[in-house]
Amino acid sequence: MTTTEEAPTAEAAHDGEIGRDRRRKEDHRLLTGRTRWTDNIAPPGTLHLAMVRSPYAHARITGIDTRDAQASPNVVAVLTGADLADTQGVLANAWPITTDQVAPEHKPVAVDRVAFAGEIVAVVVARSAAAAVDAAELVDVDYEELPAALDLKDAAAATPENGGALAHPDLGTNNSARWIFDSAEAGTGGDVEDAIAAARSGGILIEREYRQQRLIPAFMEPRSVVVDPTGEQITLWSATQIPHITRFLLAATTGVPESKIRVIAPDVGGGFGGKLQTTPEEWAAFAVARRLGKPVKYTETRSESLLAAHHGRDQWQKLTLAATTDGTVTGLKVELLADLGAYVALVGGGVPVLGAFMFNAIYKFPAYRFDCRTVLTNKTWTDAYRGAGRPEATFAVERLMDELAAELGRDPLEVRRQNWITHDEFPFTTVAGLTYDSGDYESATAQAVEAFGYEDLRAEQARRREERDPVQLGIGISTFTEMCGLAPSRVLGSLNYGAGGWEHAEIRMLPTGKVEVTTGASAHGQGHETAFSQIVADRLGVPYEDVEVLHGDTQVAPRGLDTYGSRSLTVGGEALALAADKVVAKAKPWAAHLLEAAPEDIEFAHGKFTVAGTGEGKTVQEIALAAFAAHDYPEGIEPSIDAEATFDPVNFSFPHGTHLCAVEVDTETGAVSLRKYVCVDDVGTVINPLIVAGQVHGGLVQGIAQALWEEAVYDDAGTLLTGTLADYLVPSAADLISFDAAHRSTPATTNSLGAKGVGEAGTIASTPAVVNAVVDALRPYGVHDVRMPCTPARVWHAIQEGSAA
Amino acid sequence: MELTHRFTVPADVATTFAAFDDVESVAECFPGAEVTSVDGDAFTGGVKIKLGPISLTFRGEGEFREKSLAKDGSSGRMVLSARGKDRRGNGTAGAEAVVALRPGAARADGGPATDVEVTTDLQIGGKVASIGRGLVQEVSTTMLGRFTDCLEKKLT
Repeated sequence: MTTTEEAPTAEAAHDGEIGRDRRRKEDHRLLTGRTRWTDNIAPPGTLHLAMVRSPYAHARITGIDTRDAQASPNVVAVLTGADLADTQGVLANAWPITTDQVAPEHKPVAVDRVAFAGEIVAVVVARSAAAAVDAAELVDVDYEELPAALDLKDAAAATPENGGALAHPDLGTNNSARWIFDSAEAGTGGDVEDAIAAARSGGILIEREYRQQRLIPAFMEPRSVVVDPTGEQITLWSATQIPHITRFLLAATTGVPESKIRVIAPDVGGGFGGKLQTTPEEWAAFAVARRLGKPVKYTETRSESLLAAHHGRDQWQKLTLAATTDGTVTGLKVELLADLGAYVALVGGGVPVLGAFMFNAIYKFPAYRFDCRTVLTNKTWTDAYRGAGRPEATFAVERLMDELAAELGRDPLEVRRQNWITHDEFPFTTVAGLTYDSGDYESATAQAVEAFGYEDLRAEQARRREERDPVQLGIGISTFTEMCGLAPSRVLGSLNYGAGGWEHAEIRMLPTGKVEVTTGASAHGQGHETAFSQIVADRLGVPYEDVEVLHGDTQVAPRGLDTYGSRSLTVGGEALALAADKVVAKAKPWAAHLLEAAPEDIEFAHGKFTVAGTGEGKTVQEIALAAFAAHDYPEGIEPSIDAEATFDPVNFSFPHGTHLCAVEVDTETGAVSLRKYVCVDDVGTVINPLIVAGQVHGGLVQGIAQALWEEAVYDDAGTLLTGTLADYLVPSAADLISFDAAHRSTPATTNSLGAKGVGEAGTIASTPAVVNAVVDALRPYGVHDVRMPCTPARVWHAIQEGSAA
Repeated sequence: MELTHRFTVPADVATTFAAFDDVESVAECFPGAEVTSVDGDAFTGGVKIKLGPISLTFRGEGEFREKSLAKDGSSGRMVLSARGKDRRGNGTAGAEAVVALRPGAARADGGPATDVEVTTDLQIGGKVASIGRGLVQEVSTTMLGRFTDCLEKKLT
């Protein structure tokens, strides 16, 4: 029996797989929850963990009394940092951005000092989760409070001499690293100081300082970990984006051989970079399970998630843009302070460095300098959050382009047109040293302007200004690009990153005709199983339904570098396409042999090998069965047409787009409401438009939320005040309008699919579009900036201060 | 955060001052509070508070940092500091309270009265601060209402 007789024919499947609106095959189980979330996994005899966390931002631990907790019903053990000191390992920073980077040692369970409120000081192990939580309340910890470094600027300026608080007194400084890129030194452009000096005498100089507030990724599924040490391998299930990196680092930091560890990321409910981390909770669970020899589970509460899972953004940006009086940009200088929080997280220090290559964006700056300092504070650690470095950069430059236009009294679209790279200039090497391979900013912008009704809205804005309407209209623009497809391994090496950027795939041709695919890019809600099935169905010419995508288990898909940085399709998808091509190449001699023809006369199309000029043929699925039986095949080849491939990109990919946002601002209350949002994104070849639309919509919501609602707030003692979802304002559908999201395609030239990546585009582009719109509405009131999030109170105050000036 | 509470008690400044000076007696009036030991100006004790969904049992220590009563009984002032932590790890609290006493308007029956102003600089940390901050002002006002009612009875 062959399955192809019942399923759609190979030809039909092939016709439209790439670019076809397929509903996501994984959604049924994900949406109903009838699946393997980590918290649903319970090996027999599982013990439950609860974490005792520090209420202080910075304190010495002077004593821990665990007696009452130990005596509590159903408690098996109470373990402190001292108890686990020898076995718990450390949490690694995989990207020391400079060779002299200063970083504190990060123990999963604190031993003698805590450096942020929420840090784990003891682990309670009990027979039920409730018993563990009850007993955790009985652990009596004595602390001696220490001065806490909380404010980013103060922390950067603190020294032992001036008595400023140090996040880690033994380091003698809060400054972790300083990373500089200068186009004059790199040979990619001129000296920005010359450009600034020229602008100062007879040009235009825009000097601004922007705040990228601290955000919380707020993924839907809280982090959860299960460790089963029984058996030859220790198995760790985790709600993580990075099973492969976790396995490697567990081995590297605990001394357990890598081959004795299996890490599984089953279905994972969202991450947005927030699960691109190796966590104290995972390491502590691993250590406890090994010590007790029993399976353990830990699932965080929502409040613990907001408090202790890593945060994102948190930068001060000092910016200087130089231009001539005709509006041509001549230089850009960026001075950044980036808040690392209490520890240098997995790629925490590298996040602002990812932004370094993007501040110049789509514009032809002849000179550029980026100077960043990463700073330790006594707050939750920070790391990647959707966009990671690129939203911060895009926000800065897109705000500056609007400020330049305002200074010139010109339309901000016109000023952008004057300065951007035109479609006939690709490939274009930027002042930051990247080569943008393709793009068409003119067409995307023209399409967006048309769909937005730009001229009509400008006319309405003028009318409302004229009429002194208390509700003003603002129009915001963001013509963004980003670097995706992380990342060429050599580039990562040159940036001192601790791993490569390749991705791996394997295709197993099963005898029943089914195709089993493994990928090292492990999904956490992006729809990989659907999109990857489409790619394989297209390349092999097999029915979409016959393809099964497996991922997220180091035993099933042993090689991989996981999912982040919009890399899955451009790197992981390409690896899969290459593996499929290998399957076809391996099947060809089988086809020739079975069809009794010379290999050079065999053609492959729509899943079928045929002899040129005849109708005779064999499908790749028929050959899979023949290879399984292996009764009759040519000499000198192996009885298998399975194949694997590893793809290492030679360059990043550069999606771009034009986002236009209209807001209405009530000048009497400060309330901002969205009126219209149009975006045209060029993400290269689209495999599944439905998934692309989903990614863009979700991304827009997160970017808009940064502009208008979300902020992690600490009090002056270092307590997180936004510790519940009642205080940390994650938007719902009711807060938003319908988006008009379209796409165009100039295919990427650096992978055979032509894909550029879409996971982060919406988030990167939308934040400046919204803030530009808010500021645009208020220009007649003398307002030039509103700090994010643009809450009614901040908008109202900005109007009062602007009008007063 | 800074909390200010004002109330009037039916006694003269010197009597009111003496009442406040007797920690064990004054603690009886504070809902959920108990003093476990007194040593000169220092004392230890605890207080149970319910803050919305969180029940807290703070244990800790305190001391009178300053005590002054004008000789003519025209004013009194005391400064107390206290710090403690919740027995169940839900948070920490530290407070410095300034109690200022002034003669109040004479009562209807002609007896003396004292206006009391308590200014508290309260520092809370941990879960209680993260979740219960919005409730603190309201809960403390309610508790102080019960405290003054009780104090009033004692002094009458």
